[in-house]
Amino acid sequence: MKDMQCADAREWIPLLASTELDPSVRQEAEAHVAACADCRREADLVALLMATRSEPPAGLSDSIRVAVGRGRRARSRPWWGFSAAAVAVLALGIGVLSSRDVSPIAVPVYAADTGEGGLWLSEDGLVAGAPALDGLSDEALEQLLSDLGSGGAA
Amino acid sequence: MRDDDRWGHLPDEELVQRSRAGDEAAFGVLVERHHPVVYRMALSMVSDADLAFDVTQEAFVKAFVALGRFRGDAAFKTWLLSIAANEARGTLRKRARRREQSLEVVGPVVDGGRDPEEQALERTEAERVRRLIQLLPEKQRLSVSLRVEEGMSFKEIGVAIGSSEGAARVNYFHGIRHLRELME
Repeated sequence: MKDMQCADAREWIPLLASTELDPSVRQEAEAHVAACADCRREADLVALLMATRSEPPAGLSDSIRVAVGRGRRARSRPWWGFSAAAVAVLALGIGVLSSRDVSPIAVPVYAADTGEGGLWLSEDGLVAGAPALDGLSDEALEQLLSDLGSGGAA
Repeated sequence: MRDDDRWGHLPDEELVQRSRAGDEAAFGVLVERHHPVVYRMALSMVSDADLAFDVTQEAFVKAFVALGRFRGDAAFKTWLLSIAANEARGTLRKRARRREQSLEVVGPVVDGGRDPEEQALERTEAERVRRLIQLLPEKQRLSVSLRVEEGMSFKEIGVAIGSSEGAARVNYFHGIRHLRELME
């Protein structure tokens, strides 16, 4: 009978500190722990674990919120934004290749200094030498496309 | 008004619904509510505060991205913990690979035992129990932590650690018994 009581009590010992434990169960478990030295040792160990549990570092929740917000904004960029960026890169490439006999080339203000001016696919998949379009606003991207359409190859 | 003050009384299910609709503030309340348990679980698995920080952050980002696939079969907290557990296991695998690579370069490390100063520092029972719990197998350690520190049911623990309710119960009792033996 004692074993059964111990088994029941040990089920509830970790929840003795919880407010969700049914009061009658708590009373029985506490009475058992008070009378049983072995279960009392287990209750002491559980209390020690509870008292020494780690707390999260300050700033963790803020950091999570920032990371979630950043991820959300990156994902919510409109699909045509990516398409427009791809078109812009392609158009820029075509513009550069097809304008060898036309000088001077009007370089849009958005284009970064490409150094050698060639297009290379680097190991990480980035197109080296292409202007950085990722940070452009929608308006700036439209302006770039407009410039490419009207002045780039003229 | 803080988001917690405004929506802190709402149950997880409703906050999840609002979050799904794109309400970052509602998700912020879920973050505030559950980041301690996720952090403790991550710390229990990776045993490194910086890594646990990263695992916790990544688990929430992944949970937010996957909210559309959350069916609500389990509670949000246990679903979130299962994501964190996977994230922590991935982190441990990466760390093990890095360690293997660095060992190949450096050669075998001779374990000279624990530093005497470190032993002297571990004077209290609290420090001792924290070190000894790390010696338990992962599922025992997690079952003990989630049951004792978070007051979770064995069913919830089973979902979080990827086992059955019965296995979570057995892991808890084995873990506690094992820990008592180590302490005595």
